[in-house]
Amino acid sequence: MKQTASTRAALILLQILLAIFVLLPFFWMFSVSLKPPTEPFAIPARLWPDDPTMANYVTAFRPEFRTYFLNSLIVSGASVAITVTLGLLAAYSFTRGQLLVLTALMSLVVLAQMFPHAAIIIPIYRMMRSVDLLNTHASLIIAYVSVTLPVAIWMLRGFLMKLPISLEEAAAIDGAGPLRVFWDIVVPLARPGVIATAVYVLIVTWQEFLFALSFTSTRNMRTLPVGLNDFIGQYGIRYGELMASSVMVSVPVIAVFFFLQRYFVAGLTAGAVKG
Amino acid sequence: MAAVELRDLHKTFGSFVALERLNLSIEDGEFLVLLGPSGCGKSTTMRLIAGLEEPSSGEILIGDRQVNDVPARDRNLAMVFQNYALYPHMTVAENIGYPLKIAGVARAERADRVRAAAATVEMEHLLTRRPGELSGGQRQRVALARAIVRTPRLFLMDEPLSNLDAKLRTVMRAELRHLQKKLDVTTIYVTHDQVEAMTLADRIVILNDAKIQQIGAPAEIYAKPANAFVAGFIGSPPMNLIEGEVAGGRFHHESGAFDLPDQPDGPAVIGVRPEDLRVVEAGGQIDGAVFSSELLGDVTLLNVRVGSALIAAKVGPDEGRAMDSTVSLSFDPARLHVFDGRNGERRG
Repeated sequence: MKQTASTRAALILLQILLAIFVLLPFFWMFSVSLKPPTEPFAIPARLWPDDPTMANYVTAFRPEFRTYFLNSLIVSGASVAITVTLGLLAAYSFTRGQLLVLTALMSLVVLAQMFPHAAIIIPIYRMMRSVDLLNTHASLIIAYVSVTLPVAIWMLRGFLMKLPISLEEAAAIDGAGPLRVFWDIVVPLARPGVIATAVYVLIVTWQEFLFALSFTSTRNMRTLPVGLNDFIGQYGIRYGELMASSVMVSVPVIAVFFFLQRYFVAGLTAGAVKG
Repeated sequence: MAAVELRDLHKTFGSFVALERLNLSIEDGEFLVLLGPSGCGKSTTMRLIAGLEEPSSGEILIGDRQVNDVPARDRNLAMVFQNYALYPHMTVAENIGYPLKIAGVARAERADRVRAAAATVEMEHLLTRRPGELSGGQRQRVALARAIVRTPRLFLMDEPLSNLDAKLRTVMRAELRHLQKKLDVTTIYVTHDQVEAMTLADRIVILNDAKIQQIGAPAEIYAKPANAFVAGFIGSPPMNLIEGEVAGGRFHHESGAFDLPDQPDGPAVIGVRPEDLRVVEAGGQIDGAVFSSELLGDVTLLNVRVGSALIAAKVGPDEGRAMDSTVSLSFDPARLHVFDGRNGERRG
C-alpha cells in the first residue's frame, strides 16, 4: 500500500500518542517510587522528583517482601511448568487424534474458559477447605493450573496445527515410535509456542490477586500482589513504598518478556517443507 | 531389498473409495512407477505400503511377510516426501543421521555413514547447514540422503521432483535413476507426470478412479494402451482420440468418415498419436482447419480443428501452416488404435 507523507506522519503521531497513553502509568509508578513521602501530592504535580531518593526501595525490600517474592516464584513457576507440560500433551492429542470424542472435549475446554473467576472462586474455596489445602502453595498452583490450562491448550493447539504432519510421518518411517516422535520432533518445533504459552501463564499467575487473597490468610503464604496490599492501610496509603514494591514486582515479568519476545515472532518451521 | 505384493487392497475414507481391490506384485529391485491424475489412489497406495494408513481390507506383503499390522517404524523402508519433510531444527548431518540414531548406531559409525550418504548426493560440504538455508534442489538431495543412509528394504518416493524447476527436475531424474540402479533397492515412485514415469520406470502402473488401468513397461504402454484413458494420458502431447461410429467398414465422425476395415459395427473411439499423422494438402483421411502452429525447434506442433475437436499433429519444423488454412491429415491405418465407444477398452 502506498502512503503519502502526511498519512505516514499522522500514523506515527498516533503511535506516539498511544505509546504515551500506555507507558505513562508505568513512568508515574517509577517516578512516585523515587519521591520522598511529602512529594507525591505536591501541587503543581511534578513529573520527576526534585530530589530522587532510594529510601522507598530500602523500606519496601523488607523481609516480608522476600517471603512474598519467594511464594510468587514457587506458585508461578510450578503453575508454568505444570500448565505447559499438560497443555502440550493435551494439545497434541487434540491436534492429531481423530476420535470424535476429542472434538467434543475440545468444545468443553473452550467452554471452561468462559467462567469468570469470581463465579468459581467460592466452590473452589470450599473444595480447598474440604481437602485442607488452604494456606498452601498447592491450593494456588491447582487453581492457577485449572484456570490457565484451557487457554494454554488453545494456544498450543494453534501452534501444533501449523506443524506439517509429514514431519511426524517422516520420523515414524525413520523408525521413531510415538513418544520419540513427540520428544524429538514435536517438542523442539513447538518451542516458540511453548515459550509464548509459558510467558502467558507467568503473566497471569504473577499478577493474580483474587485467588491469592482468598486462599491465603497467613503472611508466610502470601504472594506479591496480595503483599502490595500491606501498604494500603485503614488511615492512609504509603504511595512511595507501594510504587517501589510495584516496580520490584513488575521488573521480573518485564525482563522475561523482553528476553523472550523474539519467540513470539520467530517461527522455527522455516525451511521444513516447501512453502 | 524385498519384493512387495498387494492382494485385494481396499481403502475407503468414509464413503469415498480411494482404492478398489488392488492386486499388484512388485519384483525385488524393480523401479515401479504409480502414475495417474490427482485423486486416482496412487498416493494412498504408497501410504498404505508405508504404514501411514491402514487398509480397509486386503493384504500387504513385503518380502513374503504380511505387514498389515506392522507399524510404519518397523517396516524398514525409506520414504522421500513431496515436501521433503526435513526436520527444520536439525542440521543436514542430523537429518541424514536421524534414522541411524534411532536404530542405535554408534556415533562414530553414524558420522561415517552420514558422510558417505551425503557424498553420494554431493552434499558433503553442507552438513552443518539447516534445511532453511538450502535451495529446493539441495533439500531434495538431503531427503534422498536420509533415505539411502541405511539400507532399507524399499524406497518409497512421493512426487519427489514436483517442487523443482524444470531444468533441475531433468537432472535429478537422471540421478535418481542412476542411484536406484546402483543401490538395487526396490523402489515405488508416485507421480502424475507421465514423462517422469516413462523415463524412470521399469514398469508403470496407471491408476484412475481407484483402479488399475494398465500395468506394463513404458514402451509397451506407449505402443499398446489398454484403454482410451491410458491412451489419452501417456505421450506428450497425448494421443488424439476421435469419437464416432463404425458402420460397414467405415468410421464416421462428426465431420467426415474414413475406411476402417475389419472392425465390428458400433460406437468406437479412434486413437492416433501426433507423430503418426502427416499433413497433406488434400486426400487425407481427416480434413480440418489449422487452429495453431507451434514451432518447438525440432518439430512443429500443428493443432487442427476437426468439427468441435482439436487434433494435434507433429510435423517437420518447416511444415508450419498459417492459421485457418485448410489441411488434410493422413495416417497409416496400421498405426491406429481402436477403442470400444462404450467402455473405452481396446478392441484388439
